[in-house]
Amino acid sequence: MNATIVLGIRSLREALRQPDALFMTMFIPIFFLIVNTGQAAEIFPSDSTGFLEGQGYGAFQLPITLLLAASFGMAALFLVEEIEGGYFDKLRAMPIPRYSMVLGRLVAEAVKCVVIASLIVLIALPFGIEIASGVPGFLLIVLLSALWGVVYAGFMQLIALKTRSAAATNSGGLIFFPLLFLTPNFVPRDKLTEPMEIAATFNPVTYLMEALRSLILTDLDWSKILPGFAVLAGLGLIMLLLNIRMIQRYD
Amino acid sequence: MTEQAVPAVRAAGLVKHYEGSDGDVEAVRGVDLEVQPGEIFGFLGPNGAGKSTTVRMLTTLLSITAGSAEVMGVDVAGEPDAVRRRIGVALQESGLDPRQTGRELLTLHGRLFGLDRAAAAARTQELLELVELEEAADRVTKGYSGGMQRRLDLAAALVHEPEVLFLDEPTTGLDPSSRLTVWDEVRRINGHGTTVFLTTQYLEEADQLCDRLAIIDDGLIVREGTPEDLKAELSGRRDGAAVSLDDVFLDATGRSRDRAAGEVQEVGA
Repeated sequence: MNATIVLGIRSLREALRQPDALFMTMFIPIFFLIVNTGQAAEIFPSDSTGFLEGQGYGAFQLPITLLLAASFGMAALFLVEEIEGGYFDKLRAMPIPRYSMVLGRLVAEAVKCVVIASLIVLIALPFGIEIASGVPGFLLIVLLSALWGVVYAGFMQLIALKTRSAAATNSGGLIFFPLLFLTPNFVPRDKLTEPMEIAATFNPVTYLMEALRSLILTDLDWSKILPGFAVLAGLGLIMLLLNIRMIQRYD
Repeated sequence: MTEQAVPAVRAAGLVKHYEGSDGDVEAVRGVDLEVQPGEIFGFLGPNGAGKSTTVRMLTTLLSITAGSAEVMGVDVAGEPDAVRRRIGVALQESGLDPRQTGRELLTLHGRLFGLDRAAAAARTQELLELVELEEAADRVTKGYSGGMQRRLDLAAALVHEPEVLFLDEPTTGLDPSSRLTVWDEVRRINGHGTTVFLTTQYLEEADQLCDRLAIIDDGLIVREGTPEDLKAELSGRRDGAAVSLDDVFLDATGRSRDRAAGEVQEVGA
């Protein structure tokens, strides 16, 4: 575990040395929050739109903003850069557990996502977005966002380890478009057209988004929150096992 | 250096096959070699001959298809972590983390080799002085020149005071001055008792540095011995003509001249 923490700290330092990437991670999701809210807020006035639970449309859009920010992790790109540059082999030639090389980056990604998710929520508060579930809800929102960041970074690391190519890893990242947008991101699931509703129902990110949304719009509603955590637990376990398997077999 | 000593490196029938797009590729076809403790051993060969593949197998970075390898008597495939504790590795690319400073990188390596914070910091300072990088220690490595990167890479491979140091083409791409600096470092490291396994394409480098060398071609070792013995053997076949290590290399690999006499002798393959 020691090697994992040492490598995690090094990954955090690496992220801090790339402030432009951190800035974009915050800027793009907030940009979409402002644009989407600006375009649709008139269509969904808070006083006559039941699913907003009395809040503005920005509150409804906040989950996609958080998920988008958590999906912009740089862990896999730094990893593939290290593979291409040869430093990864240097680490592999050390007597450290193989898993620490992938877990270290995921631990750093979790810490980074906690900070980014907290900042985004704090930035949103002065603009009239409230966290209806209070401080416990805020903590759960941050936790859900960070876990999603880890799951997504784990998936990207798999592509990096498999392809060992920065171009392929970048392309693989485009999967976040269907994952994040085949969801009830503009309206609740029961308001989607039938094909979109079916697609959203099969998309695990839907349950994560609904968990986040319920924490923002209503008091703690475990029937919405638990499916979100269940999805993350399932996907997280799969990504963890695949990452460890991939690094153990890396030749 | 006695005959009873455990070899620093031993390979027996070492084979590596890859699954390539055109089918099975035989990169290494049965390498036998022994390196004695305290030696500087040169491993030469043309591009694609199997040098780096052999080194990657010996340093636990690549699985072994067939045969066996040991470092300081420890089985490479069976106990890779025990081997990793005994070896230092500086690969073909200097392979540094571009976003860490020289000091951070060496300290990180120390920590990963199990040193506590204070010991890692002390060892880092010692190594920075050894490779004369104290002034650049707190700059990120991205801004280092090629020679500085090689020296830092060398220092990183020495953090845990390895018994065997593998250097894969340590001077490729360096200017003559930086190359001489690396040679001095290699001699100094070897002077402290570290066995050095060096791959190179520069025959002058092998002649200057190595106690013994082996030439690999097409996945097989085709010559092995001291530079003097190899030159004497070829000179003998050429009626006492003066020969250089370049001539030995070309004779062994037949890359750009006809082989001088008869078939290439496959030593230990």
